[in-house]
Amino acid sequence: MLSPSHLPLSATLRHDRSGLLMRASHVLVVVFVVAALVFAALGAALGDTFFLRLATEALILGGFALSVDILLGYTGLLSLGHALYFGFGAYVSALMLKQTPSFWLAMGVVLVAAAAFGFLTGLIANRVRGVYFALVTFGLAQVFAKVVYNTRALGASDGMIGIPIVPIELGVVTVMSNAPVAFFLFTLGFVTMLYAVSAYLLDTSFGRVLGALRANENRVPFLGYSTHRARLAIYVFASVVAALSGALYPMLRGFVSPELMFFAASGNAVITVVIGGVGTLVGALYGSVILTVLKSVIGTMTEHHLIVVGLIFMAVVIFLPKGLMGFVRPRVARLLDGGGR
Amino acid sequence: MTSTLDFIQFVLAPQMITGLSLGVAVVLVALGLTIIFGLLDVINMAHGEFYAIGAYAALALGAVGINFWLLLLIVPLLMIPLGYLTERGLIQRVFNKPDRHVTTLLLTFGLALVLEDVLKVAFGPNTQRPSTPIPGAIEMFGIMMPNYRLFLILFGIAIIAAVIVIVNRTALGAMVRAAAFDRNMAASLGVPVTKVYAGTFAFGVALAGLAGVLLAPVFSVFPTMGRDFIFMAFTVVIVGGMGSIIGTVVAGLLLAQVQVLSSLVVSPVWSDPIVFSIMVLVLVFRPQGLFGRLGHA
Amino acid sequence: MTEALSIENLSVAFGGIRAVDGVSFVVRRNAITTVIGPNGAGKSTLFNLISGQFRPHAGRVMLDGVDRTGAPPHLMQRAGLGRSFQITNLFFDLTVFENLQLAAQRLDPPHQMLRPISRSTIGLRRVGELVERFGLEAKLGELAGALSHGEQRRLEIAVALAAKPSVLLLDEPTQGMSHGDTADTAKLIRKLGREVTILLIEHDIGLVMDISDHIVVMHQGRKLAEGSPAEVRADPAVRTAYFGDAA
Repeated sequence: MLSPSHLPLSATLRHDRSGLLMRASHVLVVVFVVAALVFAALGAALGDTFFLRLATEALILGGFALSVDILLGYTGLLSLGHALYFGFGAYVSALMLKQTPSFWLAMGVVLVAAAAFGFLTGLIANRVRGVYFALVTFGLAQVFAKVVYNTRALGASDGMIGIPIVPIELGVVTVMSNAPVAFFLFTLGFVTMLYAVSAYLLDTSFGRVLGALRANENRVPFLGYSTHRARLAIYVFASVVAALSGALYPMLRGFVSPELMFFAASGNAVITVVIGGVGTLVGALYGSVILTVLKSVIGTMTEHHLIVVGLIFMAVVIFLPKGLMGFVRPRVARLLDGGGR
Repeated sequence: MTSTLDFIQFVLAPQMITGLSLGVAVVLVALGLTIIFGLLDVINMAHGEFYAIGAYAALALGAVGINFWLLLLIVPLLMIPLGYLTERGLIQRVFNKPDRHVTTLLLTFGLALVLEDVLKVAFGPNTQRPSTPIPGAIEMFGIMMPNYRLFLILFGIAIIAAVIVIVNRTALGAMVRAAAFDRNMAASLGVPVTKVYAGTFAFGVALAGLAGVLLAPVFSVFPTMGRDFIFMAFTVVIVGGMGSIIGTVVAGLLLAQVQVLSSLVVSPVWSDPIVFSIMVLVLVFRPQGLFGRLGHA
Repeated sequence: MTEALSIENLSVAFGGIRAVDGVSFVVRRNAITTVIGPNGAGKSTLFNLISGQFRPHAGRVMLDGVDRTGAPPHLMQRAGLGRSFQITNLFFDLTVFENLQLAAQRLDPPHQMLRPISRSTIGLRRVGELVERFGLEAKLGELAGALSHGEQRRLEIAVALAAKPSVLLLDEPTQGMSHGDTADTAKLIRKLGREVTILLIEHDIGLVMDISDHIVVMHQGRKLAEGSPAEVRADPAVRTAYFGDAA
């Protein structure tokens, strides 16, 4: 028999399609960041505030959509209530900042609280699979949103206003949350960091188990992995990513409201991911920009932008089911594969 | 002793009758949902919007002078081509993709967004309330009961019974059940499966429209009216066992009672969490719901 | 020395039907034991009981001398059990490499779970071994779903073997294979049988008689007989119940 050294490890790794596609996503993220930097430079040169803040919101929602794609695209779990965690992060952040306007303290508390909250609710949601999972997450979010909506201490239906301007200390520089260019750049860095951590996790052995869950859940236990634990772990992780994105929201807008947890917000994230490309990670960022542009462009013409968004969304589901990045990414991957040879 | 009786007569009984009418209403909306899921394996996220369309159709046609009783017939008939076209034009396009559940759910979700906004464009965002077709109230068990509510309960029960008979006792229903149980086998037995699918979807949509006509005088009409009901309807469908008609009826009536009676004890704010907790408990102990699924006994 | 696998009085019933009824036997180390029997004899149910998919109502499953009765599949796998499926059960949307890597990465130390798979040296090396052994070099980058049926069946065995189990359950590995593929697979299993304990379900009687060290005959959920191929062939009860008189 041939010796194992006959086939070097790098040679087998070349056939790791998931890894190759992930590298293609990295390339597309670099493109995204460069475009965002150009945009920021333009905004700074023109002294713009409005579009920079709109773009910052798009980035925050992109970070949120990232977490939805981790579940839907990489684990095969469609959550219809993931805005619960985005809103949770926003509320915890708002509450903390009203006490002490310390960015890192607020983020730390959001991280820990979201992990605990994601774990507890994840225990419920992960009792079930498939459409039941979609409906249970939908119900979970609905219930918590209603509770928040009716809790006076959380501002009830009005939400909470008057979140102070926060200084974000980054060692050498301090970014003020009301400085359009600086906060945009900070958010860009933060969301890119969320992407990087998620991409790293999905490329680990654990991440591959998630992909296996999506591809054929029944076989996974026979490879020695508890499907329940893997699902719960990624659910907690996705909750934290959503909550950290949400935590930036009150810093940008100065308020939080129960709408952040409503179904429309969860649905928006799903639309973002589907248009951007399910299971591409980077698609969440592109999708968020596309959706934000769409809404504001149509919004200048009519307030009924949902008709257009809904129609585009349906068209994507039918004609481009892999979304924009699902179309672009394999082509980038082919270039990478050819170049690496 | 008297106080207990008083409690029963003046608090509990009226509340339970309110619960019954709510239960019948929820079941009417949920029936179409469960039939569509039972046969097509499709979660129709636009079901609430079809319900709203039914209500608006009744409002518009009522405004041009068409009698309410005629609307009970006309509106569902108008909904049938709408449902049929939705199934053939949209659902069928993605029906055979590997991830049918997710894809069809997303598609109908997109449709729901569009329909809701179309209703806003066509009828404006404001709440409208059609006049009650049967005014007045009668005294029952010492309490006043609006005549229309009484009619709603009785007529609703009749419709539910009719649906059960149609699905379980007619040749048409047999074809539907056969297609739900095993598509290929049904096709080989000469069941026109694609038509049965589209027809069943249309039937479910027509039921939603009928529910819209019936409930409009009670719950008012506004573009997002579908959303308010759909959470309860989904809960009912899950608890009853996705695709089980009997399960939907039982769960709908029970959960409506839970919701109404719990508001006697705690703030109504908590009735949704309570209903949801029941759903979770059912899923934990009986993931398939209280009853089995259509076509699967 | 303890037996690799020992089944004691294993029973399970579904809706009143005793699918497996008081079955006991011992699987010797580094040998090939085959379970045969007509359709519905309870062979696959037996596998599902051993691999942890179903929980037995009575009886014990001892793996390497440890009682593992009722352990869920992922714990059975970690205890040293590997299994393949009668109906090909792979990750069809993933490449052959990814299928093997998923199965082999269990060999890496636990902290590898949170490291990139390019660092999974033990797992990757194992993938390399399996690829050569099963002749899948040329197919490594293809999606498992795009392989021929015979290749899929081979990959199915490779995946089951990847984490170096001490006992390997193979459920009809030659199911649906062409004649030539069946002969190749028989050769492969025979070779495997020298390094790993194999429990096999197989319908091809010629193949069974050829490669088995020990045969267990099941009929209507019960063990009808067991012994060497020669003994089983000679058993009158087996002849009437299983081979019929035509054998």
